[in-house]
Amino acid sequence: MTRRRKWAAVPGLAVIAVIATLLSAYSGAQTAQQAGAAQQAGAAQQAGAAPAPLPTVDEVRASIDTVAERGPWAYSGASSPQGYAPEQPINFPHPVHVQGAGMNCLYCHFSANKAPDPGLPAVATCMGCHSIVATGSPEIQKLTQYWSDSLPIPWVRIHKVPDYVQFPHQRHVNGGVSCQTCHGEVQEMPRVFQYASLNMGWCVNCHVERQVRYDCSTCHY
Amino acid sequence: MSTTSGSSGLKRREFLKVLGATGAAAGTVGCSSDSVERLIPYLNHPDQTVPGVSNYYATTCRECAAGCGVIAEVRDGRAIKLEGNPAHPLNQGAICSKGQAALQGLYNPDRFRGPMMREGERLVPITWDRALQELNTRLDQAGPALANGVFINQHESGSFPVVLDQWLATRGIPGHLSYDADLNLGTIAAHRQAYGVAWPTIDFTQARLIVSVGADFLDDWGAAVPQQLNFADARAQLQNAPRFVYVGPRRSLTGLNADQWIPCRPGSELAIMQALGGTGTASIAQAAEAAGVEPTLLQGLADELRGAGRSMILAGTRGADAMEVALAAAALNQALGNVGVTILPGSPATAFERAASYADVRGVVEQMASGQVPVFFVRGANPAFTTPPALGFAAAMARVPFKVSFSSYPDETTLLCDLILPDHHALESWGDAQPVPGLIGLQQPTMDPVFNTRPTADLLLLLTGGGALSAAPLAISGATSPGVEVPGAAALGSQVVPAPAPGAVTTTPREHLYRDWLIGRIPGGAAALTSALQTGLIAGNVGQSAAAVRPAPAPVAALPAIAQTEGDFFFHIYPSPLLGTGSGANKPWLQELADPVSKIAWQTWIEIHPTRAWDMGIDNGDLVTITTGTGSVTAPAYLYLGIHPDTVAMPLGRGHTAYGRYAAGIGVNPLIAVPAAEDAQSGGLAYSVTKCRVTKTGGFDDLVTTEGSARQHGRGIAQAMTVAELMAPVTDDHGHDIPGVPSYEPLPGLRSPVAADAQGELADPDSKDKGMYDPQHWSKMASRRWAMTIDLARCTGCSACVTACYAENNIPTVGAPWQGRATSPLTWDERPGANIVKGREMTWIRIERYFEGGEDYGSNFDTRFAPMLCQHCGNAPCEPVCPVYATYHSPDGLNVQVYNRCVGTRYCSNNCPYKVRYFNWFGYGEPNRRQYAFPEPLNWQLNPDVTVRGKGVMEKCTFCVQRIREAEHRAVAEGRLVEADEFTTACAQACPSRAIVFGDAADATWSVAQLATDRRAYHVFGDLSTYTAVVYLKSIIHPGPATPVQA
Amino acid sequence: MATIARPYSDPAGQRPNVPSADIQLPAVKSYEQVDEEIIGTLRPTGKWFLGLGLAIFCMLIGAAAWTYQIYWGLGQAGYEPPVMWGVYIITFVFWVGIGHAGTLISAILYLFRAGFRTTIYRAAEAMTVFAVLTAGLFPIIHIGRPWKFFWLIPYPNWRLLWPQFKSPLVWDVFAISTYLTISTTFLYIGLIPDIAVLRDRETNPVRRQIFAVLSLGWRNSEREWRHFARAYLFLAAFSTPLVLSVHSVVSFDFAMALTPGWHATIFPPYFVAGAIFSGFAMVWTIIIPIRKWWNLQHYVTLNHLDATAKVVLFTSLVVGSAYFIEFFIAWYSNVPVEQEYFWNRVFGQWWWAAWIMLTCNMILPMSLFSQKLRRNPTWLFILSLFINLGMWFERFVIVVPSLSHEFEPWQWSDYAPSWVDMSFLIGSFGWFFMWFLLFIKQLPVVAIAEVKEIIPPKLRGTVDSHGASAHGGH
Repeated sequence: MTRRRKWAAVPGLAVIAVIATLLSAYSGAQTAQQAGAAQQAGAAQQAGAAPAPLPTVDEVRASIDTVAERGPWAYSGASSPQGYAPEQPINFPHPVHVQGAGMNCLYCHFSANKAPDPGLPAVATCMGCHSIVATGSPEIQKLTQYWSDSLPIPWVRIHKVPDYVQFPHQRHVNGGVSCQTCHGEVQEMPRVFQYASLNMGWCVNCHVERQVRYDCSTCHY
Repeated sequence: MSTTSGSSGLKRREFLKVLGATGAAAGTVGCSSDSVERLIPYLNHPDQTVPGVSNYYATTCRECAAGCGVIAEVRDGRAIKLEGNPAHPLNQGAICSKGQAALQGLYNPDRFRGPMMREGERLVPITWDRALQELNTRLDQAGPALANGVFINQHESGSFPVVLDQWLATRGIPGHLSYDADLNLGTIAAHRQAYGVAWPTIDFTQARLIVSVGADFLDDWGAAVPQQLNFADARAQLQNAPRFVYVGPRRSLTGLNADQWIPCRPGSELAIMQALGGTGTASIAQAAEAAGVEPTLLQGLADELRGAGRSMILAGTRGADAMEVALAAAALNQALGNVGVTILPGSPATAFERAASYADVRGVVEQMASGQVPVFFVRGANPAFTTPPALGFAAAMARVPFKVSFSSYPDETTLLCDLILPDHHALESWGDAQPVPGLIGLQQPTMDPVFNTRPTADLLLLLTGGGALSAAPLAISGATSPGVEVPGAAALGSQVVPAPAPGAVTTTPREHLYRDWLIGRIPGGAAALTSALQTGLIAGNVGQSAAAVRPAPAPVAALPAIAQTEGDFFFHIYPSPLLGTGSGANKPWLQELADPVSKIAWQTWIEIHPTRAWDMGIDNGDLVTITTGTGSVTAPAYLYLGIHPDTVAMPLGRGHTAYGRYAAGIGVNPLIAVPAAEDAQSGGLAYSVTKCRVTKTGGFDDLVTTEGSARQHGRGIAQAMTVAELMAPVTDDHGHDIPGVPSYEPLPGLRSPVAADAQGELADPDSKDKGMYDPQHWSKMASRRWAMTIDLARCTGCSACVTACYAENNIPTVGAPWQGRATSPLTWDERPGANIVKGREMTWIRIERYFEGGEDYGSNFDTRFAPMLCQHCGNAPCEPVCPVYATYHSPDGLNVQVYNRCVGTRYCSNNCPYKVRYFNWFGYGEPNRRQYAFPEPLNWQLNPDVTVRGKGVMEKCTFCVQRIREAEHRAVAEGRLVEADEFTTACAQACPSRAIVFGDAADATWSVAQLATDRRAYHVFGDLSTYTAVVYLKSIIHPGPATPVQA
Repeated sequence: MATIARPYSDPAGQRPNVPSADIQLPAVKSYEQVDEEIIGTLRPTGKWFLGLGLAIFCMLIGAAAWTYQIYWGLGQAGYEPPVMWGVYIITFVFWVGIGHAGTLISAILYLFRAGFRTTIYRAAEAMTVFAVLTAGLFPIIHIGRPWKFFWLIPYPNWRLLWPQFKSPLVWDVFAISTYLTISTTFLYIGLIPDIAVLRDRETNPVRRQIFAVLSLGWRNSEREWRHFARAYLFLAAFSTPLVLSVHSVVSFDFAMALTPGWHATIFPPYFVAGAIFSGFAMVWTIIIPIRKWWNLQHYVTLNHLDATAKVVLFTSLVVGSAYFIEFFIAWYSNVPVEQEYFWNRVFGQWWWAAWIMLTCNMILPMSLFSQKLRRNPTWLFILSLFINLGMWFERFVIVVPSLSHEFEPWQWSDYAPSWVDMSFLIGSFGWFFMWFLLFIKQLPVVAIAEVKEIIPPKLRGTVDSHGASAHGGH
């Protein structure tokens, strides 16, 4: 008898294996909890004293899995370079400029509200201030070096949608989507990293919520 | 692995690298979305440019002598599209294929990168300083002998000839020859003699009868685009449209647009003209005898002419008596009182003034052969290819010790030269043209130079220290200025931006000697120029350069009349409507574009009449040798109804031995078999001067044709109606209700967002989930229905729309010899057009050319042109069969193809009745594949708003969705709705017949909405209930007394 | 206790294997003989190694062609738009069709109590599985971006996208995968008693252990037999509708399109009949050499072949009449496009393909009206090759001429397969026969247990368990 039952276990094990695989892919529930926790954390930080120490790259990156939205089924998000935070030729500190100097995003990314491309500041734009300001710092000297060699700065690209996606910045900016919605709290990032997954489902979710057009030919042509 | 791996490096953001910073993707980490990509900023941000937003510069097209106004769309510093300038009186916003292909001249991968000098057999790159030094020293050495120097320049109007002649004068070199092999010199000379102007304006709209004797006014006779605009307007008068009779040995594109064709043997035109006019000796009978045509046809035409009232007779033969024929035509026009009514010498075109004749070139050849010529310059012309080899141009050139070319292409003439000083492309340089009196078309740089070239005008000024050349002011005539604002600019979807104000430009000053020289000529100076550049136009006249003074060449021995020559066929040669006499051959768009008549690409063919061919056992594709007293050429036969049975015809333009990868070794050059003969009176090169023997070689070569069947098999694709039917009282021809489909009214049905959407929700009124297709849906997306009407009464089949589509939508050309498939594991199919032989051309819009009648192989047949593109069916067969939703119906009426979702099952194409879906058989967009269609720098032209498709995906017409979206973006930014006719598609914009109209059929304020309800309107294959968004308007037949109706 | 597979005494009469006059095996005397002779076929021979080598070589040709095609793109195949489907789809339908005979024989004939199936069904069943395995490759091969094939399968994804469930190609995915699963299970269940025999006779401990697992501990008890019979009956009933549904779904690929020559309601029955027709032909192609080379003539008797020949003749007549109905409807429909196409099919551009089809599928099978030829294995083998050819060309005639001669005259075209297409065709046969040859050397190609059931009772020797166990022991 026992010997016979033993064999009946073979198909049984197979079934169990399949179910286990499916379950392993499910990540919805615990993601939701983390998200909640992170929001509280973020709120607490903002409520804190004004000159709160900036979080380090790793600290901020540690929280991104919880802030970026995910479907209950965590498939196909794997390929996203979310969290990508490369070394830049010049370690440009957004916080210093935005929070410190109180500059507006559009000062440098001048065409984000009137063109598909957000625009990248010309080296001359940087030199506009930095021929006088903070000329001593090593990073600025790198900048002046580029300028005197009349070389453009080879910034490393972080946020990129594939070539077959058309993303007109001006429609989003003028439509009331803040830069932070997609790029994260750049003004708090000592080094910029890819905040959102930029996956299609992530785009579509927002389009559906905001009741704007979301059929394929809105972005793909 | 993304859909468009091939396109990485082509996209919008890449365009920020205009400063020439190199290297976008430095290595790849993981999948393509992770690749380390660099963002390269400007050093200084140039004025007026916003990243990702186009600027539009008004300039002048120099692809032919006509000098139409064009507007260059420039994105992030690169010209990506040419469109007609709506403000220009000549072309009024239209543009031909040649003009649009100028971009592929600008970005041609075979252009010289910089100056070159001959060392032994080889041409080696040198620096500009070295090159100019060389030029000076060689000229100084030549000394007084320079009086025998020769400069052959492309024929162009405007200031450059003036400055050129001034420079030549400072060097003691006689004035330049202004040569253009495409010009119809016989006609020009006759016009000058009869009307006193080189080219009177021809008003087809005033005529009731048009008779063209070999005058291909839609191909290459005169200024094609303005004439086509006017002709289309004339035909659009429907019942009042002029009847058009074409007399000639071959039905050209112009001939195919005629209501009646009277075939004649080459050389018999003069007799016919005399017979028609009752002048001269030839009677109708004799003329018919000479022409090999039934006398009744000629008699009918003669009678018709007398009764017609306002008519016009146009002559444009290319025989040894070309000028006589044209004079006879002029006389006939005088006699019939057409001058001043349909022929308007009062408002001439000045573009063709002062063109040198072939006889002058022959004189130069004799001079060079005699060894007297110390120095030879050539710029823009290619006489070594465009003159018959029998003339021996190349051999004569070899006798010249020092030969300089300013061409930036390695053409046959240039490769014989010792020093090459490559000129800027017209889109890179300053200049002006005078197409009509009292109007100057301005030419301005649209972008920084692609290569290390330098404008010839600047060089000349530099060589003379600039000041030496006087800048005689442009004479401002009484002509009214066309005004500064651009009326049609809105329709273009463009804001016309002036060129960078002089001085504000951040390029080295040497680039602008000529600009400043021009400014010196313009009353009002820089300010006036800047404001004039808004439209690219300025009122005034250009001081003409003196015509070249040189020893008149010895007259040639009069040839025997063609009828007396040896052979069993008349040999007829004509310039290709696309490639001209060869200048277009290095542009893949023009090579790929099927000839409007034969529908053959990438190949030279021999046209022969079916009856004669079958007698000789010849069929399509059989290799045939044509032998004349001069030489012989072999090419595949194309059996063509529209050619006189006693005639064989060949197109010019192919058969280059050099001129770059897209031209060299493709096709054959019929001039090999042509004696170097000329029209004794006008000095024009005579093409049709000899008979020939035709022999079948036994070989075979597939015709590179896009034609399947030339007959409609009664399927009603290109429909026509007679005037009688048009005038008949309206009956409800809108057909039957189709069961199961809510209220099917074919044309008003367009008004509904989607007649019966592909997903079927609208079809079911009880459906809860109507989704985005429901007009009540919050997104309001279903409120529009993008649609198009195509007026077949206007369409002439010129195919300009096809080139426009290639340019706008990054469509790859697939016919180059290296783009074929493997015929075995080791060998490749390297025939030119191999892919097209396999039917793999990618023309999103194609012109179908169907013949009606002529079953008896007689001359009485009718031709229908039908532009065929994705019909954007409201109920599309392609949509439900796609397993991955890669094609679906957008709520605003577009049938969308999502490239990145497509897996390439090709089921959609199988199920498409119109066969307008095209598959990427190879990686045409992948630089590391031999089939790559955009070799650097051709890829600079790619439209950043359109995805470059990867291999294995389906593609098709998108109704220029990128333009729709751009218009929507603009409207939203300005807080308004998209206005009626605010923008249009690339094909509609280019169309020189104004046959295509695009817009929102759901909104009655758009012109397309009215046109869609025209009583001539119909859907192709309407009985398949596809609810197409493309509506065709039937053409009108004007049968004459001699022609029974082809229903 | 040592066992030897002995027949299931079947009170309920659920098993069809009752010895009857036309199917009895006079030359088979005892169970031992059955075990000996059939298991004897498992001994590898030179012929077998040769065949396997050839099959693997052909399979590699196909593999190389696929690598090449993926690198360069589909352009390397002979497609000539608008002929957007070619050899790949033709071969796909061909192999799916082949598959059907197996299920028909093992399931439908089982339910019909058709005894002649007993000795051939195992071969047919295996053929089914491997044919579907082969066919399943082609939808992936023929698409432009094979690496995105999984998009045809509905799975939850972050793009929030699903397949177009209206598309027959998605139905195909379901149909083929279902069919593969069921027929594999069916084959396996039927194999269990025989695997048990192999286990008991196997000397090599490793193989013995494998067989032990595969046989799920079969002990040949009455109870197991009862369950086995139930399960087998259930699966037979379960897969019977599949025989009809799968090829109907495949035919929808064409019938659902509006292409002239495709858009026909007759397609499902027409395809199913054709599938059974071609399937039986392939059974001949396989079983006739086997019975010859391994001397199984006294198992697969002429009676059996005769019976199959009658099925082939019948289906051939069905298919033939379907051809004529197509022409009739085309004429009767009075749709010019349709009429023009069907005229073109037989007298136009593609006349030769159509006539190959008609000759091989209608005219030659007529020979089976003669009993002499029905009982002549050589002729049946030759005929089977012709029928396979004919059925391949039937699909060619359906796919290529229809697409090359559609609504739009301007786009009428020609079509010629390239060397890449042909490599895939060869490769598919290599792939199929590789699996089949491996199968017949590992598992009995004739069902041992069922054969024993039809040995005439008077000949049944009593089981000598010791002898048997001795056999098993060594």
